[in-house]
Amino acid sequence: MGEHNELVIEARKLTKVFRDFWHRPKVRAVNGIDLEIRQGEIFGLLGPNGSGKSTTIKMILGLLHPTSGHLSVLGKSPRDVAVKSKIGFMPEESYLYKYLTAVEILNFYANLYGLSGKDKANRVENLITQVGLNAAKNRPIGEFSKGMARRVGLAQCLLNDPDLILLDEPTSGLDPIACREVKDLLLSLAKRGKSILICSHHLADMQDICDRVAILLNGDICTQGSVKDLLVNPDTLRFSLQSPPRETLSAILDYIERETGQRPLVDHAGRTLESVFIETVKRRPAVTS
Amino acid sequence: MMLRTIAIAWLTIREAVRSRLLLSLTALLVGGLFGLPLLIAGDNTLEGQIQVILSYTTTFATTLLSITTLLTACGGLSSDIQDRRLYLVVTKPLHRYELWLGKWLGIMALNVALLTLSGFIISAMARHAIQASSDSIQHKRQVSEQFLLAREALRPLTPDWSQIAEEATQRLIKSGRVPDHMTPQAIQQKVIEEMKIQRFTIPPGGGVQFSFERPEGGPTGHALILSYKFDSTRPERSPVAAQWTISNASGPPEQVAVTNYPGIPANLVLEDNFSPGTNKITVAYQRLDSHSQATLIFADKTQEPELLITYGSFEMNLIRGLIIVLARLAFLTALGLSAGCLLSTPVAVFVAFFIIILIASAGYVESVATSGVFYIPHEGPSLEQTRLDRVVLHLFQFFNVVTHPLTELDANPLLSTGRVIRWQLALRALGLLAGLYGAITAFVGIMLFNRRELG
Repeated sequence: MGEHNELVIEARKLTKVFRDFWHRPKVRAVNGIDLEIRQGEIFGLLGPNGSGKSTTIKMILGLLHPTSGHLSVLGKSPRDVAVKSKIGFMPEESYLYKYLTAVEILNFYANLYGLSGKDKANRVENLITQVGLNAAKNRPIGEFSKGMARRVGLAQCLLNDPDLILLDEPTSGLDPIACREVKDLLLSLAKRGKSILICSHHLADMQDICDRVAILLNGDICTQGSVKDLLVNPDTLRFSLQSPPRETLSAILDYIERETGQRPLVDHAGRTLESVFIETVKRRPAVTS
Repeated sequence: MMLRTIAIAWLTIREAVRSRLLLSLTALLVGGLFGLPLLIAGDNTLEGQIQVILSYTTTFATTLLSITTLLTACGGLSSDIQDRRLYLVVTKPLHRYELWLGKWLGIMALNVALLTLSGFIISAMARHAIQASSDSIQHKRQVSEQFLLAREALRPLTPDWSQIAEEATQRLIKSGRVPDHMTPQAIQQKVIEEMKIQRFTIPPGGGVQFSFERPEGGPTGHALILSYKFDSTRPERSPVAAQWTISNASGPPEQVAVTNYPGIPANLVLEDNFSPGTNKITVAYQRLDSHSQATLIFADKTQEPELLITYGSFEMNLIRGLIIVLARLAFLTALGLSAGCLLSTPVAVFVAFFIIILIASAGYVESVATSGVFYIPHEGPSLEQTRLDRVVLHLFQFFNVVTHPLTELDANPLLSTGRVIRWQLALRALGLLAGLYGAITAFVGIMLFNRRELG
């Protein structure tokens, strides 16, 4: 987590009730939640489907209007147009114009941010390179795979060098390498003082990069706190060391059993499937036609 | 603001091009413009052929563009909302009115392009039809003069009816031959009506004379056209033989024999061989059928003969006409976009077309609003108006005020008859339809769009 403490998103008793045609309450999607996200922080919103994650993000983006409660984004109302110039958003689905090429769509969004001339051209070119779409930059997005379209989605989200980045399932549809690259990118952005709010079901990804998380259930925040604090089990300890000789290990275990009355469990340190995949793919040279 | 609005407009144009909407529309438009004159049979005269080209093609282009504009505009925002493509756009720093305006500009840019293309095709087809005709050169020139020029209609000089009627009214009152309940104003009105009937009613063998005054400094050298129509007191429509005598102060009178049918408009093409500085032209109609029993009513109160003189070129007239069409399209675009701000595409299309149908029935609305009668019963006494009737009548009157400019500002009848469309009319259409009506519709649409949640 960064060293800054400025509040970027502040929600107090934030509530959203969806109503039917006759204006009768239909669903209470978000139920009086309190949320604080600070500058330089990567914050994860977790929860099962229909828990209110997307509704919360849409309220932060000004797409939905809160029914009650207070919500400020970068110190202003989320519907303030000036605030939007400091926000980057990547939705869960790539809601892009399929007949445009990657370059065209980035130029279009850059125009909406008021970028022009060389500044725009450089920014678009850099982002295309950064998300690895140089070879496909002049192809219509309709021809892209889901993962490629997600990369364009990520590039458009970073066009304005935003202070606040909102990501809905950022790694969905990406291969493990791209997934790792995105996570590294997000960590580097957070180091530069950018605030990031992520909404995802990929708990491993969230665990990797989030400083703090909140778990939503039926519109309520059930748990909120730093990832470290939430994952720690204070009643259990774990020691890590290079595998010692069998006699030494046995002596250590005997000593612990004698002193605590418990025989400790011993196993080999595991690797994640992600790290195995990345190592394997990176070892093999890419096949070129 | 402009950069963002232009970006949205450019996106709209690009979408139309890439989705092949523009291509299909252009093909349909060009095919229709070239195909219609081949499909519709005229009266086998060059005049008829030119009228078919000017009237049907203009109507076709206007109708096609109106429908496609409305459909495109209805889907312009609503389909983006449905496909959620707008989610990303509205999270960027742009106001929703910029988005609305950008869409409007994009659709209007397409309309300008297609209308320009239509104008070129209509003009080229009309000129080509005259050139390619096997008629005599003189006739081709006459037809060209008749249709491919913008013409201003001169009304006959009329005597000061009220002054003449005043004296006649005084004489009647003095003679004591008028009913006691009639006021002097009512008597004078009756006298004026009687005098007009006498002036325009021609018995067999009779005649009538009209005088026109040409304005100073207008274009000369082109043919003049005397446009006239008469009705008969007899139900049978037998032809009437007559002779026109055209004269001015400087030259000998020119006589032209004509045979016309009652109820059918006729044009007499006259050479502009009047001496310079002679502005007054007199035309006299003399019936040659003294044996006929029918009496001709040469013109009613609204339909006097007209002398059509040259005002300007056909192409400039066409441009002004297309500006009026463009003003209508601007309003339709605003209507469609505003409907699409709140409703899904099919519902928006339904609502927008419903409004168009209401506007199209403005004739009925006007008749109800002015006469106060919803329908005329076939038999029996007319019913007394209820309070509900009066409320509905007020609604009709309000609706008549609103729809009147939409139906009144129509370029097609003027274009197809070679009548001038003045700049004032074109600018009025722009101001009223695109400006006032468009702005009100846009205001409502943007207000709804601003309040709409996009979740």
